Amino acid sequence: ADGKVYRWKLAETWGPNFPVFGDATKNMAKMVEEMSDGRLIIRVDSSNKHKSPLGVFDFVKTGQYQMGHSGSYYWKGKNFNTLFFTTVPFGMTAPEQYAWFYHGGGMELMKKVYDQYGILSFPGGNTGNQMGGWFKKEINSVDDLKGLKMRIPGFAGEVLAKLGAKPTNIPSGELYTALERNTIDALEWVGPSLDLRMGFHKIAPYYYTGWHEPAAELQFMVNEKAYNKLPKDLQKILTVAMKTAAYDMYTQSYHESAQNLATLEQDYPNVKMRSFPEPVMKALKATNKALLKEFAAKDPMTAEILKSLSEYQAKARAWTNLSDRAYLDTSDKN
Amino acid sequence: MNFSLKVIGKIIDALGNLCSLLMILMILNVFYDVIMRYFFNDVSIGMQELEWHLFAAMFMFGIAYTLKEDAHVRVDILYDAMSKRKQAFINIFGALVFALPITLLIGYYSIDYTMDAYTMGEGSGDPGGLPHRWIVRSVIPLSSVFLMLAIIHVVLSQIQVLTTASAKEGAQ
Amino acid sequence: MTGIVLFAIALVCLFLGYSVAFTFAGVSLIVGALTLGVDLFEFMPYRIMSIMENTILMAVPMFIFMGIVLQKTGLAERLLESAAKLFGGMPGGVAVSTIIVGALLAASTGVVGASVVAMGVISLPVMLKNNYHQPTATGVICASGTLGQIIPPSIILIILGDVMGVPVGDLFRAAIIPGMLLIVAYTGYILILGQIKPEFCPPITVTESKRELLVQALKDIVPPLVLILTVLGSIFSGIATPTESSAIGAVGAVVLSIFYGSFSVSKMHEVSKDTVKVTSMVFAVLIGATAFSMVFSYSGSEYLIEEFFMELPGEKWTFIILSMLAILILGFFIDFIEIAFLVVPILLPVAIALDINLVWFAILISMNLQTSFLTPPFGFSLFYLKGVAPKSLKTTTIYKGVIPFILMQIAVLLLVVLFPEQLIFT
Ligand code: NA
Ligand code: NA
Repeated sequence: ADGKVYRWKLAETWGPNFPVFGDATKNMAKMVEEMSDGRLIIRVDSSNKHKSPLGVFDFVKTGQYQMGHSGSYYWKGKNFNTLFFTTVPFGMTAPEQYAWFYHGGGMELMKKVYDQYGILSFPGGNTGNQMGGWFKKEINSVDDLKGLKMRIPGFAGEVLAKLGAKPTNIPSGELYTALERNTIDALEWVGPSLDLRMGFHKIAPYYYTGWHEPAAELQFMVNEKAYNKLPKDLQKILTVAMKTAAYDMYTQSYHESAQNLATLEQDYPNVKMRSFPEPVMKALKATNKALLKEFAAKDPMTAEILKSLSEYQAKARAWTNLSDRAYLDTSDKN
Repeated sequence: MNFSLKVIGKIIDALGNLCSLLMILMILNVFYDVIMRYFFNDVSIGMQELEWHLFAAMFMFGIAYTLKEDAHVRVDILYDAMSKRKQAFINIFGALVFALPITLLIGYYSIDYTMDAYTMGEGSGDPGGLPHRWIVRSVIPLSSVFLMLAIIHVVLSQIQVLTTASAKEGAQ
Repeated sequence: MTGIVLFAIALVCLFLGYSVAFTFAGVSLIVGALTLGVDLFEFMPYRIMSIMENTILMAVPMFIFMGIVLQKTGLAERLLESAAKLFGGMPGGVAVSTIIVGALLAASTGVVGASVVAMGVISLPVMLKNNYHQPTATGVICASGTLGQIIPPSIILIILGDVMGVPVGDLFRAAIIPGMLLIVAYTGYILILGQIKPEFCPPITVTESKRELLVQALKDIVPPLVLILTVLGSIFSGIATPTESSAIGAVGAVVLSIFYGSFSVSKMHEVSKDTVKVTSMVFAVLIGATAFSMVFSYSGSEYLIEEFFMELPGEKWTFIILSMLAILILGFFIDFIEIAFLVVPILLPVAIALDINLVWFAILISMNLQTSFLTPPFGFSLFYLKGVAPKSLKTTTIYKGVIPFILMQIAVLLLVVLFPEQLIFT
């Protein structure tokens, strides 16, 4: 390997000191620098610096930044198929999805979608199962969803809209106020790991379990041309560091969620944890399935990805049921 | 020169009227959205997005109109005490050295930025959101074109100030 | 270093008197292209797009529109005059009613630019007409208009909550008493000024009888007050977000003008054109500032500042005093968004390490940032007011006028520094 020092920049969607998500990029950059003995140095620019949280895709595509850290589903407006590399409603859990990425053809499909933009995409850390959101009123039936004004962006919003809910755009800085004053009736954010700092637990009494983002995977993006200019060993160091940082973020998310859930239960006993009743889940699931089918009919690539996802999910879920589910069901009873 | 000054002035005045219209439409758009949500419990993300599309075009195009109307804020401690001639020099200098290069550069870089959204067929990622993101992005290169016209207008009119001033001096 | 050189050059060039927006942008381009390369400006379309999509900023033109409607149709003048009359022939009456109306706007907007502009458009002509001391008149407006920074709902508190990871609701609650203290301080100052220097804020001659006054007051004050309460109420009741309530305010103002028989299409055309001009002026400055902050930040200048703070002796009070001073001084030059996004993240790890209560720290920062809106030469309130003031009014007059209010703000800030238990965590 030559002794040349490569200086790269990474643009992340998150603001400075954003917990968990921001730790993943810092962690990755630190590992790369240490493993390469200072031959590859990556400077991380948060959104306060580049001022364009959702410009990250374009930044990496045009090479203004060699790398990016974001969420693949943010690019749904550019290419619908990017949606599937973050998470899908009623899709796989994090271990299942990681198995799909690394062993079930996920990485290959992601490459196929991103190739046309000259971008290499890699898993960038998982939040684990996200919560269904903070609700001011209890949801007892599908009818309760009708006219429900909820901040829920992207595909999950489309599913809810089909059931009569009203997805609403609110800038994140105004979310708290909007929920407090009933401008919206509900919102989804992430989970205990990140929700507590927003203060929603003080104004919305119902915290529902999830359905729409069972394993949100963030994303590292690398400009392909820049990547190809790196010596082989640095390429390897970079991919290993990204993979490790993604895994680290997953464990950190798990930890933060556990920690914050304990705080929530102890300090705010009034918050009621709920799951959507069976008819609601059924309706959501059916709508989700119908919508995906609609999209699959429009684009062969979508169909190919969905086929891969659902086949792998069936296979992985059988094992999850026999292992984790059975274990939880049996061991917790005693 | 008089003729081109007049034509450009007319174009930018028309632009000012367009901005006024966009302004009114934006207010009505936002107002309509509130009424629909509050009284009819109806929300359309497309209409919500239209709000900032109107807003963006209004203030971006308005920058050129504001320049022609000489309504951009100045630190006028020294400026106010200067002669018309000196002020005209500063305005020509500022237009050519400060305003023109950044306008050209933003205009240049925003073409690719807009084309990118066009070739990708980029639209809103939210349910019911507006398609064709390139339209709102094209506000940036368009506003650069308008701003260039306004800069030409300022330079020409300030040259006129200089020549009439020296003509007066010559006559004396 | 580049950032500091850029500062110095921009500062000198501003005094040439060319437009602030283009001077910021132009100097940043020259310095940026020479030091960092012209490619850096490839980011400009992205940054401009972020401003274009910012629906919170969308409230600015609509509150400006509302203000100009109230002015052009004479409604604001009548409101303030009636309000001032109601305070009797007392010296400083108009100024006091400006503070009260300013506080009301603050409680409805949270957008400083919009309230300063609305106040400037509404009450400056009234005070000038009544022979007010010009610096005092402009100072009252800038200061009252800036109340929106601290009185909830406040954009800066929301941004700080996000940056610092503190629940926004906690910040809103914590800001109430400091905000009230400012209102009391301003009002007290004007009342005292009215006693010592009555010629600075002359009383209005009230010729009408008590009865006439009351009828007039009902006629003039109640409807516009209803309008302001509608704006406020629409936010607090949850009918609308602040941005939406600005549209309600704009439509409401037009409806009122119809009600008062002072509506005409040509007037509306004029109002709209004026609004476009003021709005575009403000956003051009914002775009210029963004070019500036881009060069400042990408040249690594904020790392110099970070290093300085990391080498401080580790005492809590040293840190608080120095960081407050730093923000105050930086506030002279850059605006609150840059400070909230560039400086606060640098201070945050130090604050956490020193076990400083973040809610308290956030309130201190936001009050300090409020002061930065008023501090020359780059106080955004000053620019906003200048944008709507008559051409004859000098920038230096405004600079002079805000000084007493800056001092009062520092005094209230010190109170909050010294008595957090009593003033914040009640
Ligand atoms: Na406020
Ligand atoms: Na300042």
